Amino acid sequence: MAAMILRRLLSALGVLLLASIVIFVVIAVSGDPLAELRDRQPPVSATVIQAEEARLGLDQPLHERYFNWIGGLFQGDLGPSTIATRDIGAELGSRIGVTLRLVVVAVVIALILALIAGTISGLRQRRFPDVVLTPMTFMMLALPSFWMAVLLKQWGIYVNDQVGQSVFATVGANSVPPPQGLVPFLLDSAAHLILPTLVLILVHFATWSRYQRTAIVESLAGDHVRFAVLKGLSRRRVVRSYVVRPALVPIITIVALDLPVLLSGAVITETVFQWRGMGGFLLESINLRDSNAVLAWLLIAAFAVVVFNLIADVLYAVVDPRVRYGN
Amino acid sequence: MATDTTSTTEPKAGGNGRGRVILRRFRRHKLGVTGLAVLLLLAVISIVVPMIWPYGHGEITPDLSQAPSAAHPMGTDTLGRDLFAQTLRGLQQSLLIATSVTVVACFIGVTLGVVAGYFGRFVDATVMRLVDLTLTLPTIAIAAFLGSVVPSGGVNWIALSLVLGVLMWTPVSRLVRGIVLSLRNLPFVDAARVMGAGNMQVMARHLIPNVADHIIVAATLMFGTAILAESGLSFLGFGVQPPDTSLGLLVSNAQSAVLTRPWLFYFPGLLIVVIVLAMNYAGEGLRDAVNPKASLVNPLQSARRRNDRGELPTDMPRGLVDVRGLTVDFGDQRVVKGIDLSIEKGEVLALVGESGSGKSVAALSIVGLLPPTAVGGGSVRFDGRELTGLNFQEWRAYRGRRIAVVLQDPSTTLNPVLTIAAQFKDSMRLAGPLASDYRDRIVDLLAGVAIKDPARLLDSYPHQLSGGMRQRIAIALAMVHDPDLIIADEPTTALDVTVQAQVMSTLALARKRTGAAMLFITHDLSLVAGIADKVAVMRAGEVVERDDVLTIFDNPDHEYTRSLLSLAPSLALSPASQSAAADIEEDS
Repeated sequence: MAAMILRRLLSALGVLLLASIVIFVVIAVSGDPLAELRDRQPPVSATVIQAEEARLGLDQPLHERYFNWIGGLFQGDLGPSTIATRDIGAELGSRIGVTLRLVVVAVVIALILALIAGTISGLRQRRFPDVVLTPMTFMMLALPSFWMAVLLKQWGIYVNDQVGQSVFATVGANSVPPPQGLVPFLLDSAAHLILPTLVLILVHFATWSRYQRTAIVESLAGDHVRFAVLKGLSRRRVVRSYVVRPALVPIITIVALDLPVLLSGAVITETVFQWRGMGGFLLESINLRDSNAVLAWLLIAAFAVVVFNLIADVLYAVVDPRVRYGN
Repeated sequence: MATDTTSTTEPKAGGNGRGRVILRRFRRHKLGVTGLAVLLLLAVISIVVPMIWPYGHGEITPDLSQAPSAAHPMGTDTLGRDLFAQTLRGLQQSLLIATSVTVVACFIGVTLGVVAGYFGRFVDATVMRLVDLTLTLPTIAIAAFLGSVVPSGGVNWIALSLVLGVLMWTPVSRLVRGIVLSLRNLPFVDAARVMGAGNMQVMARHLIPNVADHIIVAATLMFGTAILAESGLSFLGFGVQPPDTSLGLLVSNAQSAVLTRPWLFYFPGLLIVVIVLAMNYAGEGLRDAVNPKASLVNPLQSARRRNDRGELPTDMPRGLVDVRGLTVDFGDQRVVKGIDLSIEKGEVLALVGESGSGKSVAALSIVGLLPPTAVGGGSVRFDGRELTGLNFQEWRAYRGRRIAVVLQDPSTTLNPVLTIAAQFKDSMRLAGPLASDYRDRIVDLLAGVAIKDPARLLDSYPHQLSGGMRQRIAIALAMVHDPDLIIADEPTTALDVTVQAQVMSTLALARKRTGAAMLFITHDLSLVAGIADKVAVMRAGEVVERDDVLTIFDNPDHEYTRSLLSLAPSLALSPASQSAAADIEEDS
């Protein structure tokens, strides 16, 4: 098991290193961070532009820029921003927490609901409630997350208007200024979480419950289930240990693989609900042509994906002995 | 596709035939057909209607912010542009971009997938790392960045499609690689190589056609994803740029109008929903047509039965098991045609027949398990009680405790995620709480099926053991409650010939020790001689001959029995009949 984890860890590091090169090259060759400065009217003097190029390291060859960037990363320096006063690391630090809150809550709820709904649906194929759940998930799969986000936000506003007080918080991750005291603060956070997480939950619940349903249906048809029934085990025991447990293996990989989609969803949701999280950071940085900020964002995303795949591999081994013993 | 060199060995028969079969299956999938029809209709509308519609998508009319009317079926926006014209333009853009994305992604995915699967090893490892790498790049972030750096005038649709395609090829390549890996060592690929086909030719002419149907399914599902990705990007302002428009952009523009001018928001949004929903249903239909699922067994459900409860026999039952008029129907087809069997206490009855003779289905029907599409009939009495029509809970009094079953394939009968000891514990708990020395009892049971040094197996998982070992464990599991009847359904068919004999003697030993009766199902008469007291020969759903084992072997009555006997390997008289026996093995 330790050998397996070590092997996966090395491979993950390799992928991450490769990803850093690809990301760096794509960002470096495809955009000029100073384009806006150069286009400014009246024209900015050449010395100013040269000074900016030197500050951002654009005057060096590509490979040296890469090594400088990587070297800086290990010292906790994410590189200079196009806006001289912007500290990329500090800003990201404060924003990651906001996004994590959104993503983690959504993933946990979506996963639990998907496991329950998928399992029930699989066990009761083509009967109630599967005949309701399956078309419902198909519908949800087709809902664009940005459209749902806008819809929920506007409906929230409508309800607030009708009731005459703020039932749903539709702007930001917290009220401004945030309420004092732990309990009011948590309540305030929860109120702000409801609508945005609902959007993310809807999207992922649908995908994951479809996968879980398929896994259960396949597991149910397995010989080992038939054998367990013929051994005379109780229905509950058969379902729990012989149908559901082997079927929990595939969903782990699916969730890990879906992380990039989840991040994309978070970008859209944060934009609509005006959260100051990672998504907003990315879009602002893109609009500012702040290459190093975009790079930092992509690197964190790549890191998260690699780490999640690693966790999925380990979990996989815990759930499935066939993997644990390297078979 | 059926090339002259491969038409006999190709696993999937000639392309036209297979294509027709898939098409026929797809036509039966109503939702899939509806989905495809809706998509085609939308595609035609997006091409034809803009040519005849009086307003262009950028054209400003004097009607500002109008609700839907006859002149403007979807209303107008604040600048007076006709929303229907804009939506048509958006539809065009979305379909065009999603199609190109799908083409690009499928091209990359199929190429890399086939190459990886065909060459394997280093090439495969490289491609798989490339997949890992691509997966670390969040599509929307990269696409948004690249979208932002394109010079003014907006992103053109080709660039957008290329970027999205390059980021979305991974699922296709994984799928194709997996299938090619399983195909590349099949005879038809070897045959093509022997005939002098180069690598390129083998991949292009023999492998890709064989994955084509799977690619179509994957492409359909990707199309839906591409629509969502493109409209999401346009929504964020990094996709299609004004003055051109797309569905995502229309939704984005209508963000604050949901409550005041709802038509601006709902029409383009719902159109996206309709497209993706239709595409997903079409994809689902195609997938079912390409990979039809066999009617899956659900052993938790009671088997369906014919309504002939009144006809159950009321006379004294014969022996331990008394089967009368047992039938099994699949639709109009009757595969078990009213067979009668009886087994005395401690007696071994062999049910012999070729594959497809209905013997396994008949045996499953005796323990109350049938595929959901099958309907059973007739009477099964066990120890004087009628078993047909019992529910799951009532069956538990018999299954495991009084009637034990050993299934055919030991590689799938044990639970892959539980240890051997845990699987015994599950069974043993049926008789009440576990005794403290339960591990000793398991060791005894395992020793009883001739497993040496059984203690070391207790904490193993099934996959760590050989097939013969697993089948012996399955037999030991069947013996936990000293059953009165063992039903062994071809227990040695999935095993190597050398292991077969060991497992057979184990089974005989275990049966003798407990004195249980046994119903032994096989297609191999040579196995019957050593174990059975009586033999019933089954053919095409009927028992054609039933007698005790010596009479059957010495003096077979029925023509079919004689031909079965002449084919049994150990009784074979000439090499010719041996090869004929081998043919039967392959067919089964």
